[in-house]
Amino acid sequence: MKLPQKPEDKSKLENSISYLLISGVLLSLTLLITGMVLLWQKQGNVAISQDPAVYVHGHDFFSFIYQEVTNGGLNGLPLQLITLGVVVLLLTPYVRVILSTVYFARERNLKYVFITIIVLIILTISLTLH
Amino acid sequence: MHNMVLLGAICVLVGFLGSLTGLGGASIITPLLVLSGIPVKEAIASAMVAIIATSSGSAASYVKARLANVRIAMFLEMFTITGAIAGATITTFISPVLLYFFFAAFLCTSFLRIHHIRRGFIPSEKQDRVSRWLNLQGSYYDEAAGETITYRANHALWGGGGMFIAGIAAGMLGIGAGAFKVTVHENILHLPPKVSSTTSNFIIGMTALAAVSVYLFSGLLNLTLMAPIAAGTTIGALFGGRVLNKINDRILQVLFLFIVVYLIVTMLYKGIISL
Repeated sequence: MKLPQKPEDKSKLENSISYLLISGVLLSLTLLITGMVLLWQKQGNVAISQDPAVYVHGHDFFSFIYQEVTNGGLNGLPLQLITLGVVVLLLTPYVRVILSTVYFARERNLKYVFITIIVLIILTISLTLH
Repeated sequence: MHNMVLLGAICVLVGFLGSLTGLGGASIITPLLVLSGIPVKEAIASAMVAIIATSSGSAASYVKARLANVRIAMFLEMFTITGAIAGATITTFISPVLLYFFFAAFLCTSFLRIHHIRRGFIPSEKQDRVSRWLNLQGSYYDEAAGETITYRANHALWGGGGMFIAGIAAGMLGIGAGAFKVTVHENILHLPPKVSSTTSNFIIGMTALAAVSVYLFSGLLNLTLMAPIAAGTTIGALFGGRVLNKINDRILQVLFLFIVVYLIVTMLYKGIISL
């Protein structure tokens, strides 16, 4: 009943995860660097600020993202871009778990569907805690 | 280090070293930030972002090269995330001074691996039922050694227990607890050194994400601090991910121990002067 994993199946999951991660970090990097350059142009220096506006506040992870996407421009474009960069960075591993769950479900690999769903549930709970 | 450009440049090196050793880099950046006058809790919170950047940036290469084992990682993540939530909750109740000493003591567990450096990797002959049932095994091509290494994980449930403890430490200290995870992977699960460090690297992003939400909304995350840290470590990790497989196992293990010694010294120093 236990079939060995077919190498081409295995490579599909690994390649998808790899592409997802690289796209996530490159998008995040672009947003962060653009945000920092704009911030430098706006305030004329590259100092690490202690201004209350540069601190992230919110209820939980998901409502924070929603809030950021709908009215994140309150503190100006540079800080909005940096926040989006951080959001993309944080979402990348989360999407990676969803992707893996979908993959194992399509493969009907029930053991790993179970494992990935548990990881997804605990992770989702942890992201809604505050 | 009150300058984003300087901090970003230092973080390139942190991300590079963190991705090569499986340490993630938070344990390198946290003491640096603390020494430059950033409050310890703020430093810990920002370092979580560095872990996620290092993990995703280097895992893209590690997963593609089959160095990081996705199945083993998924299984272990169940345990370590649960631990991370517990740890991050505990840390809001205890004094930061205690954290320094706990941090230093925790890192000492890394020396458990010293004998492996002399002996080299010997594949496990046996495999327990849980590991076999979960198909926890794999193979990869080691570019430095010029051969394909095949391995089977052993003692899956003990490994899970170790990862739960690692998760608690990660949540409490704002590190990926990569040092402890690598030790669990090598000594309990009997994974080869590169599989141990890269699988740890893959997992720590998840652990950090689980813990970061606790910090996200306690007002400790400074965007002008996080942006250079995240950008710098991502760039460093992208480089690290490309060169790891070309480096000899022993060099990586010695590098790992050097960084750990540095970390223990910095944390003890900081702990003692804040008493």
